[in-house]
Amino acid sequence: MRDLLLRLFPHRHPTGLVEIGAPGRESPVIVTGNYTLTVRRMKRALRGRDVHLLVADSGGINVWCAAGGGHFTHHDVVSVIRTSGISDLVDHRRVMLPQLGATGIERRYVADKTGWDPHWGPAHLEDLPHVLDRAGRVPVADRKVRFGLRDRAEMITVWALPMALIGGGIGLAFGGPAQAAAVALTMVAITCAVFALVGRVPLSGPGRFVTLGVVASVAVGGAWVAMEAVTTTFSSRDAVLLGVAATATAGLLAVDLPGTTPWYPSAMAKDAFTVELLSESCTGAADCVTVCPRGVLRMNGVIRKVEIVDPDSCIQCGACIVQCPENALRFRRADGRVVEPETIRTTRLNLLGSRTIEVSH
Amino acid sequence: MSSYVLMKILESSPERYDRGIRMLNGGKVDAVYEAIADIAARPGGRVLDIGCGTGNVSIACAQRGAEVTGVDIDAGMLEVARSKPPPPIGSVEFVQAAAAELEDHFAPESFDSVVSCLALSEMSPDERSYALRAAHRLLRPDGRLVIADEVLPAGRFRRLAHRLARFPSVTITWLLTQTTTRAVPDPVELVMAAGYQHVEMAERFGRTLMMVSARRPPGPGGSNA
Ligand SMILES: C[S@@+](CC[C@H](N)C(=O)[O-])C[C@H]1O[C@@H](n2cnc3c(N)ncnc32)[C@H](O)[C@@H]1O
Ligand code: SF4
Repeated sequence: MRDLLLRLFPHRHPTGLVEIGAPGRESPVIVTGNYTLTVRRMKRALRGRDVHLLVADSGGINVWCAAGGGHFTHHDVVSVIRTSGISDLVDHRRVMLPQLGATGIERRYVADKTGWDPHWGPAHLEDLPHVLDRAGRVPVADRKVRFGLRDRAEMITVWALPMALIGGGIGLAFGGPAQAAAVALTMVAITCAVFALVGRVPLSGPGRFVTLGVVASVAVGGAWVAMEAVTTTFSSRDAVLLGVAATATAGLLAVDLPGTTPWYPSAMAKDAFTVELLSESCTGAADCVTVCPRGVLRMNGVIRKVEIVDPDSCIQCGACIVQCPENALRFRRADGRVVEPETIRTTRLNLLGSRTIEVSH
Repeated sequence: MSSYVLMKILESSPERYDRGIRMLNGGKVDAVYEAIADIAARPGGRVLDIGCGTGNVSIACAQRGAEVTGVDIDAGMLEVARSKPPPPIGSVEFVQAAAAELEDHFAPESFDSVVSCLALSEMSPDERSYALRAAHRLLRPDGRLVIADEVLPAGRFRRLAHRLARFPSVTITWLLTQTTTRAVPDPVELVMAAGYQHVEMAERFGRTLMMVSARRPPGPGGSNA
């Protein structure tokens, strides 16, 4: 419950060094943001280990949103490395950065300014023990974002309550308590179904209308049967009410459902970008491969260059472009215009998921 | 990418900062900006503004003819600062950097004054003392430091009373503008520990805002190790 409340609101954990267990001079150093929930989960995931945890200022927001929105950058990481005094506490200079921060944290900047050797950790902090057991090497599977049961459940709680309230209100206004309950339940059912389906059936692009239509019809059908069972007379007004509620729920969810998941680019972003690789510039540094959360890129060991293997999974986060030392990656807009890497590095996502905020460099 | 929509709506908002900070302090904050500039800025003087945010102090200093560099870690804040009309005299320039990165950008002894308003309270204690020591090295000998920040009243009971009294205005301001401020435990102590001399509480604004002025010791190579 406490975790759920923390999940709903940004909440700042004090920044600086947090010791987990009894870390010594060889213990790993891991950077994370100061979203209180993240720090709590980190401690839980690393229970029984000895780790120097550096909590950097991400404005009390989770790493992914903070980096995408310009609140968590290499400046915050440099700051915590320098001011925490960690250099005096360990004999090595390896520091693990959160992979989902790669849209905002330029790894090479951190290396230049601090003399430390930063490398990317796994996408999900639950995989940290596993990665630490492999001396910090992240298996390919651990780089991909998941939208797990827990995340789904959380998104359902975030969306279902307002939906139920709206539905209940409409039901009360146009019918009675029975109608209110039926409409609220229909809306909740649709919400649950939709978040259960994310990543399994098309929920972005034109396909999402078909999916949402099917889900809404099933929910209305269910509610209909339920109402027939409790109320003896089922009026045509009730049917209209249910239909309107279902359409409204599907509509509300469709507005930016993709954007609330780590699976699709936000539907509100105006431009559709395609990631493009200039093979002649690629030197096989493969930084991009270690930050892509969707497994779009792969290192081809034979030609010693990176390849785009799964372009359809790209969520246009830009992490690969931000990290490439050779500027070999970039976006192309639907209208054919190129978005240069420097533009990606110096603009951040705004509320609607478009890149508008200019960042100086 | 706009995952967790709610969080994005609730996160801090640079565009609303100027309005929020005035709501919190009932307009007092403008007097603070002017007071800082009065002692820190003079025509041609070089001023560094740490955590300049939307540039209010930087601009007040430039209006007195100073050449000001405002530094802030937040790109959104700087974007608002840059969008303000430049003052008729003096000059302002804004740089994105953390307080711990000042010495990557500026040479030792390159400023006549260093100012910081409501920014040290946003930093961790480590960052605060790191920044003040760096500022010491960036100041010319006998150069001046002026900081203004929120302080908590002394004593547990008074502190609680203070928090309760402010709770309504803090809540409303946060709901409307997602702006809030924090407090520095003991600014005078903090500045002295960083090696400054002539540390004095220059002025108080109401019960919770205080301005501290100090100097880097005269003589070249004044060290604060
Ligand atoms: C409350 S605002 C004050 C802005 C301005 N000085 C004023 O008085 O209106 C605090 C500012 O400090 C900045 N800040 C916080 N931590 C910082 C850090 N470590 N380095 C640089 N700036 C920082 C924030 O980005 C924010 O803009
Ligand atoms: S390929 Fe697409 S999803 Fe992968 S890092 Fe690049 S922009 Fe993000």
